[in-house]
Amino acid sequence: MSTTQAPERRGALRGIGSARTSTPQNLMVFVLSMALFGLANILLEIIPDVTIGPVDLSVAYFVFVPLTLAALLNPFWAALGAPLGEIVFTDLLMGDFSGLSELEGFIQMFLAIYVAGSVVRNPRSRPQIWLGALLIVGIDKFLSAVVDLAKVWVGVEDAEYVQGLPQSILLLEGVGFGIDLVISGILFGALPAMWLIPALHGRIEPLLGMRPRVPGEPRPGTVPWAGWFVVVAVLASLLSFVFAFLEAWDVSIGSVEADFRGQYGDTFLWVSVGALVVVLALAAILFSVWRRRRADR
Amino acid sequence: MSGGIPPAGPVIEATALSFRYPGAGSDTLRDVDVRIERGDFVAVVGGNGSGKTTLCKTFNGLVPHYWSGEFAGEVRVGGVDTWESSVAELSSVVGYVYQDFQNQLVRPTVRDEVAFGPVNFGLADHAERTAEALRMVGIEHLADRFVWQLSGGQAHLVALASVLALRPEVVVVDEPVAELDPAAAVEIYERLTDLNRDHGITVVTIEHHAEFVARYARSVLLMSDGAPVWHLPTAQALGRAGELARHGIPAPQVVDGLRRIGVTGVPLSVADAATLVRADQDGGVVRRAAPRADVPDDPAREPDRRAVAVAREVGHGFRDVGGGLRPVIDDLSVTLREGDRVALVGGNGAGKTTLMRLLAGIHVPRVGTVELDGVDTRTQRAGRLSERAAYLAQQPERMFLKASVREDVALFPAGRHVPDVDALVDRILDRVRLTEHADRDGRTLSGGQQRRATLAIGLAMRPALLLLDEPTASLDVSSRDDVIAMLADLAEDIACTVVATHDMHLVAEWATRVLVLDGGRVVADTTPRVLFAEPDVLAPAHLVPPQITQLGLELGLDPLPLTVEEFAAHYAPAPLGALT
Amino acid sequence: MSLRTQHDVLSVEWIKLELIRTAYSTRGGLFAAMDPRAVIGWYLLMAVAPWLTHNLTTLAALFVLGAVAVALARVGPLVLGLFVIGLGFELIYLALAATLFGGDLTTVVALLEVTAKLGVLSLASLAAFVSLDPEKLSDALLALRFPPAVAFAVSYGYRMMPILVEEFATVVEGYRLRQAPPAGRGLLGWRALVHWVLITIRAFYPIFLNTAKSVRTTVEALEARGFTFATIDPRGRAIRIGSLRFGPRDAAVLAVTALAVACCYLVGATWPVYRG
Repeated sequence: MSTTQAPERRGALRGIGSARTSTPQNLMVFVLSMALFGLANILLEIIPDVTIGPVDLSVAYFVFVPLTLAALLNPFWAALGAPLGEIVFTDLLMGDFSGLSELEGFIQMFLAIYVAGSVVRNPRSRPQIWLGALLIVGIDKFLSAVVDLAKVWVGVEDAEYVQGLPQSILLLEGVGFGIDLVISGILFGALPAMWLIPALHGRIEPLLGMRPRVPGEPRPGTVPWAGWFVVVAVLASLLSFVFAFLEAWDVSIGSVEADFRGQYGDTFLWVSVGALVVVLALAAILFSVWRRRRADR
Repeated sequence: MSGGIPPAGPVIEATALSFRYPGAGSDTLRDVDVRIERGDFVAVVGGNGSGKTTLCKTFNGLVPHYWSGEFAGEVRVGGVDTWESSVAELSSVVGYVYQDFQNQLVRPTVRDEVAFGPVNFGLADHAERTAEALRMVGIEHLADRFVWQLSGGQAHLVALASVLALRPEVVVVDEPVAELDPAAAVEIYERLTDLNRDHGITVVTIEHHAEFVARYARSVLLMSDGAPVWHLPTAQALGRAGELARHGIPAPQVVDGLRRIGVTGVPLSVADAATLVRADQDGGVVRRAAPRADVPDDPAREPDRRAVAVAREVGHGFRDVGGGLRPVIDDLSVTLREGDRVALVGGNGAGKTTLMRLLAGIHVPRVGTVELDGVDTRTQRAGRLSERAAYLAQQPERMFLKASVREDVALFPAGRHVPDVDALVDRILDRVRLTEHADRDGRTLSGGQQRRATLAIGLAMRPALLLLDEPTASLDVSSRDDVIAMLADLAEDIACTVVATHDMHLVAEWATRVLVLDGGRVVADTTPRVLFAEPDVLAPAHLVPPQITQLGLELGLDPLPLTVEEFAAHYAPAPLGALT
Repeated sequence: MSLRTQHDVLSVEWIKLELIRTAYSTRGGLFAAMDPRAVIGWYLLMAVAPWLTHNLTTLAALFVLGAVAVALARVGPLVLGLFVIGLGFELIYLALAATLFGGDLTTVVALLEVTAKLGVLSLASLAAFVSLDPEKLSDALLALRFPPAVAFAVSYGYRMMPILVEEFATVVEGYRLRQAPPAGRGLLGWRALVHWVLITIRAFYPIFLNTAKSVRTTVEALEARGFTFATIDPRGRAIRIGSLRFGPRDAAVLAVTALAVACCYLVGATWPVYRG
């Protein structure tokens, strides 16, 4: 059909298209990730949870869904879309939205998927897929455990002096972490991903108008975001420092007497403001460094 | 951008346009020169892969701004060079309605959807534009509905209104007939005609069906291999019936019918055709053949054939918001027998799909019983009942579960440990003529091939009862004829075939029995020939007989012709003289 | 084997019902008529308040305040019931675990404190977000300078969910009919379990490809209707949030809440109760 075409076109060639991923393509990955991870979460909503005592034996999420998109298409946009899909499709539309804790879940999941997706450099490499799946669950659950612990530390006065409290919380979080790693990370993460990622490699990209990824090749479009990633990571870790600092302060003051409220409230405020200033300053520095580096390129 | 009085000259002009998708081995568009005049109603026709859709995407700048590839030449839209412009800017000149228009609706309610464009562009008069667009396509009453509550036809009108809200000069509609039932497709074309006539909007449709082209278009642009073959006024274009047929667009039935009996002229509608035939009859050019005794009447319906599926006083429904039951099937009894070719017809929401799923044992009825091959469907799991009845869903891509057509066909027999699965699969693939495509993913096949692949999946299940949901929807005419022919061939393997359809050609040419469903009940159980002669059954069910049958009704032919052959048999070919 | 009956879960109809419920159950209640930004502000006020004190009296008062808000927001009994049960179980498990490590009554009281704080937080989010329909939330997010993609995602989810679920249900049904069922149920039905898990996972192969195909059209249409344009040009945002009005009612609710929170602290200061 096309072999008889003359090599010369009549019209003047005006462009040959660029190799970088374009904004619409990023938007497609974002929407796709949101829709599919949202769907996966609706399914989990229907499956009854099995809990034995305090231990939850349920599947936390279908890790293979965002991992597949992050590994094949674009880790940043897949990481951005997936947790949003969870919030929108299940929490919001099923009437189960929980305000601030959604935000914390979003940050955790975003970091987890972005890091794991960036680790998978070759979509046909099994060890990398395994590592990716375990990283998603590991990072997300670790961060959420830290946040949970922080809540208890902030919420309970002199928490470390309460008999058995630190141990019991650590035990529950630790057991939960292990179970999630096995169920969500391996059974519903690494094993399905090992099959799905190679199966979709080279099939899903043309549907989105993209070129399939060549193993090992760094993806255009992900590099400029590395700076942002660092910013977010530093932000998140500083946030946890705020909690840690509060805890230390609590210890040094020891027992607080009746006029506790005003003092405590004020100091809390100053500590928060201080931490915020540090975070913003760091973010601004990193941002300008990144912009200069990009301008150099 | 130009404001005020539109500049003279063509609204769209492509010059030496070529385009190649990234990574593709050849150009999808090659040296295209096209002029579309302001106020025209253009039907773009051509076979699969002729570049119709890509051409239309150059009009609103999706090519080259969204799909960046090798772009050569120039497209001017409203005088603006699209290469210098942007998709956002061009969207106020050209509106685009997709073939899978359901996916272009992105907001929850109809009003939001229509307002989406004007609000995004920050237009101060967005509310007036929204109201105006809703009024232009006559869907003001739907404004506060949720998009997922709409029927297919309504959703298409919403998609149309949402592009009209940007007050474009040109509207491109990609295959409106494909995803809609015929009544809804007619509605869309009527609206487009109003827009074209009353508002001066230039309409471009991509169309496979010559009947719609004949009835609505002012000019026809034939594409082949990425370049236009010609662009002619409709009557002239339809006169080149042979050329159109070679590009996969067979002539409308009335054109074909008149040609067969030797009447000259190109009728654009049934009424036209009737006038032409009457004139030639009066003029002695054609005459009626003597009534024949050997009318191919419908096979006698002996009641004692084996019953394949029996529904007894079946009632079924789904939960509604209040937790109550919304009935879908209501006290329905029917017996399907060996050798039946059943067409299940009726409007949207009449219960066709639900009935088929009950008959296949996928659902069990809330009231009454369904027996499949003598087995009560309540006593066996759906996975077991699928050995007796196979249900093929409407969207083929949802039936492609595996990475290749071959694996999909083999899935059922291999799991059931049928001996010699490979030979069976090979035979079936050969039968549906897909052997050379067997190792491709079903999704990459053309529409007609996809249907044949799903048919292969059904055949591999070797059921007694085969149920197909809209097997000819979204097919071009030649693929449709292909599928109908294949269905007609099934008798030796399948005891009874049931087809739910809006396609009256399929009913006329294939079915031996028609069940008309309305409100979950069977309102008529008859043959196609009897059905098409009964306007009081047809009208409430929104059924429109095929053109040739309408012409037969108009001319008072008895027995009523169901196919062009039967129509031609009513007339004696003029040159041969009397036949007695 | 028992006779089959009709199931009403995970059908498309079911999802549509759930959506209609979230869309319509929000009509009414104190917060439904408020400016969504004010609702979010109210929520933040309630969410922060319990973390600034260790005084159990204050916490109890805040808890009561949260409960009153939930009542005013007309939260359905089912959602509320689930909340209470969840809270109770968490407390019991923590207490059991603490006892295991040699804790005593003070441990339980300590846990009561953190559970009460989390409880106030949950009550506040129940009251605020059950009465906020996704569209309003989407506008509020836009007004609060969230990225447009987030605001869009909220309303797009509304639109996409029935389509995705229908697609998934069809694919799973295809597997159910065409894949051979397991030979038997196995111990505790493990064979059946594995069969269903495998089907669910395998169903994602066609779902990935089909969704990718439809998302392409969606994003093209978004582009053609100015979605990207609106992220650069501020006028679209201005129109969308123009319908939001911060009225006297919003101010009143916020003021009353602030006053009530202050009262809680006052009550706490008057009759302080601390752990241990």
